[in-house]
Amino acid sequence: MLSRHADCAFWIGRYIERAEATARMIDVHYHFGLESPLVGRALTWEAILAISGQKKKFNLRYREINERNILHFFAFDQNNSNSILNCVRLARENGRAIRDQISSEMWESLNRYYLDYRRWNVDRVISESPFAFFQSVKNGSHLFQGITNRTLMMGETRDFHDAGRFLERADQTARILDVKYHDLLPRFTSDVSIPAPTDPAVVDPFSVGGTVDTHGWTAVLKSVGAFEAFRKTYRQGVTPARVAEFLILNPQFPASVRHSIGRVEGCVRRVSGNRDLSPSNPAERAVGRLYNDLNYLRADEIIASGLHEFLETVEKRCAEIGFAIGATYLKY
Amino acid sequence: MQNESPSLFDAYDRGGFYDEMLTENGPRAHYQKLFQNLSAMSPHDFRARTELADLTLMNQGITFTVYGDEEGTEKPFPVDLVPRIIPANEWAHLERGLGQRVRALNLFLHDVYHEAKILSDGPIPRDLVVNAPNFRRNFIGANVPGDIYIHICGSDLIRDGDGTYRVLEDNCRTPSGVSYMLENRLILTRVFPGLFRENSVRPIDDYPSVLLNNLRSFAPPGREEPNVVLLTPGVYNSAYFEHAFLAQQMGIELVEGRDLFVDDNMVFVKTTRGPQRVDVIYRRIDDDFLDPLVFRPESALGVPGIVNAYRSGNVVLANGIGTGVADDKAIYPFVPDMIRYYLGEEPILEQVPTYLGWRESDLQYMKDHAKDLVFKATNESGGYGMLIGPQASPTEISDYLNQVMADPRNYIAQPLIALSRSPCFVEDKFEGRHVDLRPFILCGKDSVTIMPGGLTRVALRKGSYVVNSSQGGGSKDTWVLGESRNVMQQSMGSMVQRMEGGC
Repeated sequence: MLSRHADCAFWIGRYIERAEATARMIDVHYHFGLESPLVGRALTWEAILAISGQKKKFNLRYREINERNILHFFAFDQNNSNSILNCVRLARENGRAIRDQISSEMWESLNRYYLDYRRWNVDRVISESPFAFFQSVKNGSHLFQGITNRTLMMGETRDFHDAGRFLERADQTARILDVKYHDLLPRFTSDVSIPAPTDPAVVDPFSVGGTVDTHGWTAVLKSVGAFEAFRKTYRQGVTPARVAEFLILNPQFPASVRHSIGRVEGCVRRVSGNRDLSPSNPAERAVGRLYNDLNYLRADEIIASGLHEFLETVEKRCAEIGFAIGATYLKY
Repeated sequence: MQNESPSLFDAYDRGGFYDEMLTENGPRAHYQKLFQNLSAMSPHDFRARTELADLTLMNQGITFTVYGDEEGTEKPFPVDLVPRIIPANEWAHLERGLGQRVRALNLFLHDVYHEAKILSDGPIPRDLVVNAPNFRRNFIGANVPGDIYIHICGSDLIRDGDGTYRVLEDNCRTPSGVSYMLENRLILTRVFPGLFRENSVRPIDDYPSVLLNNLRSFAPPGREEPNVVLLTPGVYNSAYFEHAFLAQQMGIELVEGRDLFVDDNMVFVKTTRGPQRVDVIYRRIDDDFLDPLVFRPESALGVPGIVNAYRSGNVVLANGIGTGVADDKAIYPFVPDMIRYYLGEEPILEQVPTYLGWRESDLQYMKDHAKDLVFKATNESGGYGMLIGPQASPTEISDYLNQVMADPRNYIAQPLIALSRSPCFVEDKFEGRHVDLRPFILCGKDSVTIMPGGLTRVALRKGSYVVNSSQGGGSKDTWVLGESRNVMQQSMGSMVQRMEGGC
């Protein structure tokens, strides 16, 4: 297939996933803010800005961190290249550029996603229903992905699309975990081993296992759609280390870093047809290396060596994988 | 008090024009069934179907962006759901006439890029041709497969006050609109399935297959499985939808200039598995932007070196380079002479009388009668660079005449033709609007195929004569009727008999 077409498919995958991740993130923190008078809304909106790494950009153009500005910045700001509006728009533009390569249903779904999205604005979200708004974004992404699964030929276009989608997902999961880790737990240090479940009634609400803490980690799980799956996996309760283990290493959870990177590896291997253990190009090398680490690492090793440092490495390596795929296949 | 619900045809005014559907004695014979159906329909019902069609277009992304709107508002391309019908005998006449025309135009192009006999023998002034802006001097002597330059032609036909079809112009460069012809049909079959059962409408859906077969047949010798691609300027081109649509329908790659490169006079496309040779390019980029080494150096849309690859015969371009000289509006008046000169036949189709700014006596006439004439720049399209004298103010006319006097070769003028009208759905009832017809003509190595139908363009603004989509035009599905319903029924009947008797 044409390199440019592969590039478009890859970025459709990324943008659609990014739109969903952004909506999930704001959705959960939005409700976290409503439910958590202890923490106060400003703190959680700060956390969102930190996750996205866009605090500077936000401060340049908005005077105050408040609900309206945050919503506008992340959902509707035409000048924020990562706003949901721009993600959906760019996914659609990429879809338009390869509309002869993808199924008509896929194109129509991208198109409708965008047209429906254009009917929202900050006023409507706030006055009508933030819940319905976030739900519509998640549904838009899911519908497109479902249609893609059902209608796109098993082949390179699909592999590049999925590579983009899962690479983005791995990256987003790592980011959310990383920032929450810092933001929620200033007192949690990396030399603490997996803490035992504690009774929230008797502890300082801001300490590890305190009300705010449990609430915050629950929010992290919810923001990646992992809360119920986590509950089924760990009956003992929500602790930072378990959340980290689940979101980074769980092989079955569809948004875990390990699962997502495994999917990316499957895609790049299918494209090259390489069945050898050793990689045949830079893309395979970059993704295989990270996937191996995730397969063999244990949670306590990650915690012991510093969760933040580890997640930062994951984010960096996701970026490297993106570059390597680009250099190997997408240059035009 | 009236009990009858209002009809869509209430107070329909033919306005003194030739109406495609209605005469003073009711509908024309070929519109009879459609008229009955539409008369039985309430305005509410018709509006509901129009909304359904608009929604379908919106969802499919068949839209255009409203310029100057920062929000990037998009609107569906306006389709009027009342089809335009052409009976079999009229179509047979058009088909013969258009085929004759495109054969003559291809012979003309081959001639002017080789011996240029027609210029020496006199019928066409040499000056007009060799100084035409789209005459490509550096292609003199170049050969193209099958001597075909125009592979795809879109000729614009109009009907005058008597209903006579006249050719208004031939589009020999990169004519567009065929996707709307196909989409309009698709929409009508969805919105009015019943109408098709009652009228024997000839199908048009094999356009992409015919085009692809033709393109493949032009591939350079020795290329068993030719690689055909469609070259587009990109997503921001107003016809991008059509480019993507055709590529998808033909199952070929849609490429941009940056996807291609030339090596050793051969064209390659960059793929995830390395470069692949390209044999035939259906290009939707004008000559000027095709190759920065030969034409406009600043063009980022083209492919450096592609023209040399073309000249070497390693790649085929459709349409060929230099076809613009054949649809130059100042050459147009000479097409009947080409037909007589090359084919030894009399032209089948009428044209529109045309005054050339290039000819001094004509220029004087143009100045004296400006308020009665339609002026056009010879190499503009899309309804740009026009002046409609009868609808223009004296200042507009004198400003325009100043432009004409500065470069008379670049202008022509024609009498204002009272274009035929067709009923269109406007604010809950039917009103007459002016229409034209763009059939699509495909040239193979030794065959000409004309899709039975074409794009009927509508000037949706009341009283307007300008049908171009860039100027507020819409379109209609165009039905060419089969020979007769009886013929079909007879052949169906004999099939049934054969099947029954064959066991």
